[in-house]
Amino acid sequence: MELFLQRLFDGLSQGSVYALIALGLVIIYRGTGHLNFAQGEMALFCTYVVYQCGEWGISIGFALIIGMATGFVLGSITEVTLIRPIAKKSPFAVFIVTLGLFQFLNWIDGAIWKDQPLPNSGVGSKQQSFPSLFPNKDTDFVNVFGAAIKKQSIGVFLLVLVLTGLLFLLFNYTKLGLAMRAVASNAESAKLVGIRTNMVLMMSWGIAAAIGALGGVVFAGINHNVNLGLMFTVFIYASAAATLGGFDSPGGAVLGGLIIGVVENLAAGYADQWVGQELKVGVALVVILAVLLVKPSGLFGTEKVERV
Amino acid sequence: MKPFATIRSGGAASWAIRIVVGVLVVYLMFWIPTSASNGVIDSCITALTLMAAAMSLNLLLGYTGQISIGHSAFYGIGAYTTGILVSRYGWSPFQTFTFAFVLAFVVGALVSLPALRIKGVYLALVTLALGLVFPQLVKAKKLVWLTGGARGLDKTGFRFTKANPTYEIFGWNPWGSLRGENIKPFLYWIAMIIVIIVYLACRGVVKSRVGRSLVAIRDNDTAAAVMGVNLAVTKGIVFGLSAALCSLPGCMSAIRTGNVTPDSTNITIQGSITFLIVMVVGGAGSLWGPIVGSALFVFITERTGDWSDPKQIPGILRPFFDWSHTPPGSGIFAVMLIALMFVAPFGIVGMWRRIVVRFVRVIPKPAGTGTLAPMAAAPVEA
Repeated sequence: MELFLQRLFDGLSQGSVYALIALGLVIIYRGTGHLNFAQGEMALFCTYVVYQCGEWGISIGFALIIGMATGFVLGSITEVTLIRPIAKKSPFAVFIVTLGLFQFLNWIDGAIWKDQPLPNSGVGSKQQSFPSLFPNKDTDFVNVFGAAIKKQSIGVFLLVLVLTGLLFLLFNYTKLGLAMRAVASNAESAKLVGIRTNMVLMMSWGIAAAIGALGGVVFAGINHNVNLGLMFTVFIYASAAATLGGFDSPGGAVLGGLIIGVVENLAAGYADQWVGQELKVGVALVVILAVLLVKPSGLFGTEKVERV
Repeated sequence: MKPFATIRSGGAASWAIRIVVGVLVVYLMFWIPTSASNGVIDSCITALTLMAAAMSLNLLLGYTGQISIGHSAFYGIGAYTTGILVSRYGWSPFQTFTFAFVLAFVVGALVSLPALRIKGVYLALVTLALGLVFPQLVKAKKLVWLTGGARGLDKTGFRFTKANPTYEIFGWNPWGSLRGENIKPFLYWIAMIIVIIVYLACRGVVKSRVGRSLVAIRDNDTAAAVMGVNLAVTKGIVFGLSAALCSLPGCMSAIRTGNVTPDSTNITIQGSITFLIVMVVGGAGSLWGPIVGSALFVFITERTGDWSDPKQIPGILRPFFDWSHTPPGSGIFAVMLIALMFVAPFGIVGMWRRIVVRFVRVIPKPAGTGTLAPMAAAPVEA
């Protein structure tokens, strides 16, 4: 029972990260119908920015704000300069551009930070490990039904809940949210009734990248370090989460992320011989395949009717 | 501007150009292993390996329009098949090629089953997951006895003994010395033969009836189905063939390095991305695209390989790159990829064709005989 609870909470905290990246994917997909392959790498770039702030002695809370602002700027600039002009050509071109962006961001992270002493080495770096938003020392536990749950897991989980709530408020009770929903439902009609769709799309990309930045920082905090490959698997888990929840449903993305996180951890824990730490990522493959084959719209997505 | 010249496809002028280009290519093919330095030959083997993989991906993405970011898995299947059969069961490396080909074909055809229902970026997601799973799968505890886990396999290359024959052609030995330490020319020829096989296979498919149905599927699969293209069978076979062709350079890599590890670049997801990028930069949907792209990619990465040390950067470029802690090769290529999508979505080959038609008018053969107009990987001005 204790083990189960521990694995459950580990799963929830990892799932929270997937949920954050998946939220970013969904927000962009709702607006433009594109899948942003560079979502994870955008988050990674911002995570590196936060790391750099830490090196300069800025506290993690303030650094996080800087990181999210960087994400917002990065996301909006990407939309305006790269995605918007190319989207007129073809969806394939957008896919290739996001892939190019993926490669470029990963390279530039390495180019700027590769030879810096990274916090996972601890040597020469001012920071012993990547700063975590929540207490994550070995002694920071809460007892729940006899299971020792990390304070960090609880903190991350709560953070995602709060953020989802805020996004819910944003989508439902603000003018921007209304405009975003209008663009998501029909971009051309939205334009006709006077919504500045370009502005809305720019904001969506900005918000998505900012949320991704938060996800990256949280994940780096859980792992105690940041490295170039940090986001590869997170991205595929997040896509699995978005697929499971439905690509146009933010709530579904959050739930999907949590489910994937829990399933992955339970599978790795209980089927140690078969799944184990190595084949965890197989869970993502199975989920994506199963959902796409059985119910392509996901749990909460709207079903698309294709006209020939 | 009026074209300067008119060339009729199949006419004398067109054949003259073909023969000149052909002779140049063949000359270069033989010049490299016989006269170039070992370093150059080594780079060429890398380029050839990449070419074969990118060409196989081109068949799937460039012609059929199915996005795959999982081809590193098929490459890995090739590498591991050769690795396992050679190191554990003592096969000769040459015998493993057919086996890997068949195995990858079957796996590819299986992957294509969901691809019948899943389209576009979703297929990209599935294949991306596949590409991420493969290196983990070979590390799995239950498979360590076969794949060697994270340490991988070693002694997967040729073991040269006195019994190995040297095949001399009229007293001239193009393979280099097989018994000595220098087996580079030999490996070069294996890679070259693989590239030729893959090229001919792609050409055969593309210029045939099947190729036209592939392009039809790419441009509008509903219309293709209406016109009598069997979507399921065609997609399955192309996916299988593409996977099988991609396994060949994988086999080659196992022979070349003499070991197979799950962390070698082309087996991880980075490999898939590289295949895709070089293919699109070279020109998706053209036979020469992947060849040009791969050659350029290897040229740039090898040239800039030591640029993490600012002193190695040639003078005029130093201010642009001296801040970088890593070689700028992949970054340059990423920028090139994005820029090309804006100015020339058909890659370098497409751009070349567009420039050429300004000056030379090519009159194609009558429709139905297999000339391929320069086309995009997706309808561009729809």
